[in-house]
Amino acid sequence: MTEGHSNIVGFCCNYAGRVSEEVLREAGLMPDGVRIERLPCTGRLEVTTLLDALEAGADAVFVAGCEEGTCHNLSGSHRAHKKVGVAKGILAELDMDPGLVEMFFVPRAETGPLVSAAREMASRVAGGKKGQRSER
Amino acid sequence: MEAGRSPNIEILANARLMALEGEAGGFTARVHQEPRFIDEDKCTACGTCTMYCPRPVVDLYNERLDITRAPHIDYPQAIPAVYYIDAKACLRVNYESCNLCAQTCTAKAIDFSQKPREHVLDVGAVVLAPGFGKIDPAVLARFGYGKHPDVVTSLEFERLTCASGPTEGHIVRLSDHKTPKKIAFLQCIGSRDETCGNGYCSSVCCMYAVKEASVAKEHEPDLDISIFFMDVRTQGKGFDESRERAEKKYGIRVIRARVPRVEEIDGRLALTWTDEDGTSRSELFDMVVLSVGLDAPEDARQIADLCGVELNKYDFCLTSAGSPLSTTRPGVFVAGAFQGPKDVPESVTQASGVASLASEELASARGTRTVSVMYPEEDLEIAKGPPRIGVFVCHCGVNIAGVVDVKAVRDYAADLGDVVLYEDPMYSCSQDALKNIARKIKENRLNRVVIAACSPRTHEPLFQETLRSVGVNPALVEMANIRDQCSWVHAQEPAEATQKAMDLVRMAVAKARHLEPLSLQMVSVIPRAVVLGGGAAGMSAALAIADQGFDCILVEKEGELGGNLRMLKWTLDGQDASAILANLVTRVQGHPRIRVMTNAVLENVTGFVGNFVSTIRTGDSNEEVRHGVCVIATGGMQYVPTGDMYGESPKVLTQLELEGRLSKGKGGLRGVNSVVMIQCVGSRGDGMNHCSRVCCTQAVKNALKIKEMKPETAVYVLYRDIRTFGFHEDLYSEARRKGVVFLRYEPEDRPQVLKAGNGLKVRAFDRLLGEYIEIPAGLVVLSTGIAPGENEALSRVVKAPLTPEGFFLEAHAKLRPVEVSVDGFYLCGLAHGPKSLDESIAQAKAAAAKAAIPLAKGEVPVTPLVSRVDQEKCIGCGICESLCPFHAIRLVKVDKRRKAETVTASCKACGICAAHCPTLAISMGGFTDEAIMAQIHAFSERCAS
Repeated sequence: MTEGHSNIVGFCCNYAGRVSEEVLREAGLMPDGVRIERLPCTGRLEVTTLLDALEAGADAVFVAGCEEGTCHNLSGSHRAHKKVGVAKGILAELDMDPGLVEMFFVPRAETGPLVSAAREMASRVAGGKKGQRSER
Repeated sequence: MEAGRSPNIEILANARLMALEGEAGGFTARVHQEPRFIDEDKCTACGTCTMYCPRPVVDLYNERLDITRAPHIDYPQAIPAVYYIDAKACLRVNYESCNLCAQTCTAKAIDFSQKPREHVLDVGAVVLAPGFGKIDPAVLARFGYGKHPDVVTSLEFERLTCASGPTEGHIVRLSDHKTPKKIAFLQCIGSRDETCGNGYCSSVCCMYAVKEASVAKEHEPDLDISIFFMDVRTQGKGFDESRERAEKKYGIRVIRARVPRVEEIDGRLALTWTDEDGTSRSELFDMVVLSVGLDAPEDARQIADLCGVELNKYDFCLTSAGSPLSTTRPGVFVAGAFQGPKDVPESVTQASGVASLASEELASARGTRTVSVMYPEEDLEIAKGPPRIGVFVCHCGVNIAGVVDVKAVRDYAADLGDVVLYEDPMYSCSQDALKNIARKIKENRLNRVVIAACSPRTHEPLFQETLRSVGVNPALVEMANIRDQCSWVHAQEPAEATQKAMDLVRMAVAKARHLEPLSLQMVSVIPRAVVLGGGAAGMSAALAIADQGFDCILVEKEGELGGNLRMLKWTLDGQDASAILANLVTRVQGHPRIRVMTNAVLENVTGFVGNFVSTIRTGDSNEEVRHGVCVIATGGMQYVPTGDMYGESPKVLTQLELEGRLSKGKGGLRGVNSVVMIQCVGSRGDGMNHCSRVCCTQAVKNALKIKEMKPETAVYVLYRDIRTFGFHEDLYSEARRKGVVFLRYEPEDRPQVLKAGNGLKVRAFDRLLGEYIEIPAGLVVLSTGIAPGENEALSRVVKAPLTPEGFFLEAHAKLRPVEVSVDGFYLCGLAHGPKSLDESIAQAKAAAAKAAIPLAKGEVPVTPLVSRVDQEKCIGCGICESLCPFHAIRLVKVDKRRKAETVTASCKACGICAAHCPTLAISMGGFTDEAIMAQIHAFSERCAS
C-alpha cells in the first residue's frame, strides 16, 4: 500500500452490490486502498477474523450485511452486528478507537450504499491519522 | 398529407368508437367526438394561439421533455393540419376566464361553443388500426426509470436525437444537460420477459436501437455506445447490413447479455452483467436508454368488446396464418401493430392489404358514395393573351408580416411590368381568401398568378385548384416563398428581409411571364391484371384482384399451382399448410375472373401503366396479352447447401426435407436418438448475405414437433442469433422448456459435421464450458435460407431493379413497400425478400390493393410536368435514354433518323434528361429554360441598378 493511502478491509455479503471494485476505483467512486472481501453470509464472520485483519495491517475494518428482514439466512447480518460489537469492545479495552470497526446494513444488490460505507471508513481513517499528527 | 387531401377520406379526430352493430357489408358505427374548440375550416395553423396562451402544458408528443401551451399542434405535419385546445388545461374551458387565444386569433377560428358530437356512420367494413401501447411504468422502474433522470426510454431518446425535438437534436443528459460520453442501450425492456406478462418479442427494438445509436454517433462522433442484446434480431430486408455498418463504421459495441438492473452511484449509472462464459462484469455509463417494447394498446380489451373481436393471450388482435388481416368478426379487419408488433414497412403493407379486403367486401358498391371534384371547362384563350399578372402577398398572420413589410412588398409588386392586380391577404390559404382570389382572377381576367407566401411543397396544389375552379390552367400559378425562406430565417433583420421578399417577388413575376399552360392528360386503363407466379403470394394476389371485380391472368411457370407452399407441411403457428394450399388452389381454379396459365413464362412486356402488352410463352406457343397492371409474385427458392456433407450422407437433411419425414409420423424418426440443427446455412454471409428471416422459427417449430413425437430424442440447435420474433418467441420458450439445447456459434468458428463410424457427429464450441464438444447426431438438419428465384431475367424484361442480394427492389422501403419503381408493377411474396406465409399473404393483399387502384379508376393521370423533346434540335445521341431511371424516354426512328421521345405516362419529371441533353433539346414542363433564365436575370436586376 503506497504512502498516504489508507488500508481498509470491507467484509460484505455476497448479495450486496455487484459492481466490481476496480471499475468503481477507476471512476474515482471507491476510495483507494479499500479491499472488498465477499462472504457467502456475513453471519459466518468471527470476532477474530475482524481483529486478524487489523493485526495484518488494516487501518480499519467494516462489515456490510443485509438490512434487517432481508438476510438470506434470516439472522446472518444480525449475528455479524453482534460480532462487530464484541470487536469494538475489545478495541476499547486495548485503548484503540472502536470506530475502526463498523457494521453497515446495506440494501441487497445495491452498490451505492456499499460505496458510502467504504467512504465513511476512509474518512474516519483519514481523520484519525490527521488527529495523530496534530497530537505529535 | 395524401390522406388529408383526399375528398373521400373524412377524418374524425379526437373521436372514439362507442358501438358497432350489424354485420359485414352493413355496419352501423356510433362515434363520439370531443370538441377541439378550433374550427378546422378556419384555422390556418399559424401558431398565434400557442404564442399567447398563458397556460403551459406538458408536451406529450415530445415524450414530456418539453412544454407547450393549451392550444397546440403536435407537430407541423400533423393531419388535420389544424391546432386543437387541450380541454383539461384550458382556462376558458374550465374556469370561463382568459379567452386570450380567441381574441388574438386573426382567422377567428377559435370557437368555445363547440360541443361533443355523436356520429352515426353506415359502413360496409371496419379496419382496426389502433397501434401499440406503452410498456407498464412498473417494468421500467426496475431499471431505475423515474428514479434516475439519465435513464430514458428509447422513445425519449428518439425525441432527443430529432432535429425538431426539444433539444434540436443535441443529445444531453436530463440531469445536468451535458453531453454524455458513454451510453448503454438495454434491449428487451418489457419484451421477452414473462415476469411482466410479455413473453413475446417486440420485433422492432433491435433495429431501432441500432438506428438510434447510429444517429447519435452521427451527431456526436465521440460517443461510446454499447448495446446489450440477448439475440440481435435485425431480420428485416437490408437490416443486417445496417447493423454491420453500425458495428464497423460507428464502432457500436454489441454485448450479448441481459442486464438485470441499473444502479446509480454518484450520478454515474452502473451496469453489472454476466458474460456468455459466465464471468460477471460491470461498467459505468453516463446515460442508459431502455429499448422499450411494443405492448398491446391500453384499451385493447375495450376495442375487442366493442367490435366483437377476439384477442390473443397478450391482448393483441387474434388472427391466423392463412388470413393474417382478418379478425374473428367478418367484415372487421386489422392492420399494424395491433395485429402483432411490427415495423413501419410491414404496417404500411398491412394497411394496403386491409384496403384490399375492404374493397373486396365493398366491390359491388364501388363508386356509389365517393365524391370526385368537378372543375369548369378550361378557358384556353385566356393564357394566349399578353400576361396579366396578379400578385398576392400573404401576411400569414404575423408569420410574414411580423418581419417583412408586406404592404411595401405589395406596392413594390405594383411597379413590376404586366402586374395588373396586387393585394395583401391576411391568410391567402384560408377559405374566404381563396374565394376572393378566385373572384379577382375572374374579374380581372388574370392569366398568371404569383402567390408570395409559404412553401409550394405544401400549398401549391391548393392554389392550383383555385385556378382550376375558375377555368384557368393550374400551371399558371407561381409561388415565392417569403415565409420559410425569408421571414423565418431573417427574423432579426426586417429591413433586409423586406428587400429579399421584393427580390423573390420580382423573380417570381419574371418567371410567371413565361409560364405556359400544361395539359392534364388521362390515359385509359385496360381493366385486367397479370399476376406472375402461382404460389401462395401470387394466388392470394390474384384472388384479391378478382374479388375486387377485375379480370386476372395468373401465370405459373410450373405445371401446377402452389409454389413453395407445396413443400411446407405446417405453418409457423402449427396449422396444416396443405389445407391452406388446397383452399387457395380451389378458389383460384373456380374463380370466373381468374384465368390460370401453367407452364407459362413472361417473355416480353411493352407499353406503360394502363396499357401493357405482354408476350407469354406456353410450351412452344406465344400469346399476346393486353393488361393494365402486373403483380410480380415469382417467389424464391430453397438454398442448396454446398457443404456439411449434404448430399454425401443420407443423414444430412434440410429443414423442409425433415418436415417431409416428420409428416409421415413417428416412423420418420426410427433409430434417431439425437438431432442436430445448424442455423444460417446459406444465410448471413454463408453463401448469401441476407438473413432468411423464417429459418429460426422453422427450426424451433420442427424441434418441438420432434419432442412431441418422440420426447426422448435429444435436439440441439446451433445458432448465431435466435430470431423468433413476434409471437414466435412463445415457441422458442416452449422449446427451451422441453429441453431443446441451444448453442450459439460465431461465423468464424462454424460447427463442423464429421463422420463417426457409421454415423455422424457435430463438433462445436460450447461457450459456457469454454471448450469444443462433439455431439453424436442421428440426423443433421441444415436450416437452409431462402434464395432469390430466377429474378435477373425477369428484371431485364420488366426493367425493375433488384437488390444486391437478387430480390426485387421496392419503390420505397417505408412509403411504397409493394410498388416497383416502374409504374404499373407491384411486388409481393418471396420475390421481394424472405418472409413467412402470413407475411406473404398480407403483402399479396397489399399488392392487389395497389394494383386495383388504376383498374378501379379506369384512367391514370399523366403528370403535366413531363419532359418534352424538341425533335428539331435532337441529334439522337441517346444519352437521355441511357440515363432515365424510369425508362420514360426512348429513341424512335423519325424519317430514318434517331430521335428521342418521352413516354409521358412513365415520366416522373425528375429532369435528368433535360440536364444532360447536349443540344438543349429537352425542356421540362413548368421549368422551361427561358422561364428559369428570366428568373435568374430578374435576380440580377437589383444588383445592376
